[in-house]
Amino acid sequence: MNPEVPNPNRVLVIDDSEPIHKLIIVHLKREGLEVTGEMDGQAGIERAIADKPDLILLDIDLPDVDGFEVCRRLKENPATRDLPIIFLTGTDSTDSKVRGLDLGAVDYVTKPFDQVELRARVRAALRTKRLQDILEQQSFLDGLTGLWNRAYLDRRLESELNVARRYERPLGLVLVDIDHFKLVNDRFGHLFGDVVLQGVADAMRAQARRSDMVARYGGEEFAVLLTESSLRAAVYVSERLRASIEGRSFAARGESVGVTASLGIACTDDLPGEITAEELFNAADTALYAAKDAGRNCSFLNDRGCLSQVDSAEAGSLPARRHSD
Amino acid sequence: MEPIRSVYEDDPDMLEIVREFAAELPDKVAELERCLEAGDLAQLQTLAHQLKGAGGGYGFSPITEQAASLEHALKEGQDATVLKDRTRALCEVLRAIEVPE
Repeated sequence: MNPEVPNPNRVLVIDDSEPIHKLIIVHLKREGLEVTGEMDGQAGIERAIADKPDLILLDIDLPDVDGFEVCRRLKENPATRDLPIIFLTGTDSTDSKVRGLDLGAVDYVTKPFDQVELRARVRAALRTKRLQDILEQQSFLDGLTGLWNRAYLDRRLESELNVARRYERPLGLVLVDIDHFKLVNDRFGHLFGDVVLQGVADAMRAQARRSDMVARYGGEEFAVLLTESSLRAAVYVSERLRASIEGRSFAARGESVGVTASLGIACTDDLPGEITAEELFNAADTALYAAKDAGRNCSFLNDRGCLSQVDSAEAGSLPARRHSD
Repeated sequence: MEPIRSVYEDDPDMLEIVREFAAELPDKVAELERCLEAGDLAQLQTLAHQLKGAGGGYGFSPITEQAASLEHALKEGQDATVLKDRTRALCEVLRAIEVPE
């Protein structure tokens, strides 16, 4: 759940020579890297799209499409555009080195390569990849709360829906909106409002599993994306969250201030057919509006378009989800 | 020709793949000779190119040197005598490769 940037360590080798693959595997294993390989350009492109490796070692002379063309296609595709590429060149010609670098490669290694040099160039490329990963992650974080932001929620919602469809697993979404947040801001000031937002973020982090994703997607709006969660499990999380937010108090000008939140729940299991990210989001949003209309500080669930209020006592008796996974 | 040994034969991780590489070489010799005889210059060039790229990596720089010389001759469109000489020189190097048991 908490954002962490792992060390990039997955290398894809695209080369038509078996002996070159074996050599690279021996050399890069010494760096603790995971190496996968493909023997031609087309297979390499497909593998890059599917695996999103941290680094691609790309031969120029390939039997089908040449390395320059593979590079061009990888740089054209938004899914693979940012993957660093090191060219493996069989020639010492300046032209081909320059052409490779201009196509977006980060470096080149001339074959036959010296293993010490190969390893150093790979290490250098992966160091830069890590910085790139950190920067990318920063752009998906909410500065105030440290939770994921709207852009990341949209992206993850899409990818988790794909996973949920492929493996036929349910995906739950809980939307959380702090009640009368504008009044809190007006009465106690925006700095206090920020403290409340941070407190609600802490409550959400505390209630989520590692595999759940928590985001702040608007001013006082939060979301929890629950992977492999049935509607029942989502209801349970929602009620725990609601109670946990209600139970917090914030000190403002010597008085103790509490806030409540309204929550809307939807789950792919309980929506008909192949649903889109937008449909899942709208289903939870409709439930959230129903919770507001019903007087706030409650959870509503959207079960195939049928809205109903969650009974706190009943939800509390549901079996707890494992926190270990 | 004197036996040619890999500069990496003392590296246990490398020795295993150096052996595998050397075990493939008799097939490469046969294929080089077949391509030369059949006039399959495209395949001859592919083989030369691959041996050039891999040989030095396995610690056999003479393979890279001879394969580069053959590849160069093919790219330049040299006549049959030159190609024959250089293919034979490469095959001789490949036959001289020796890896300790």
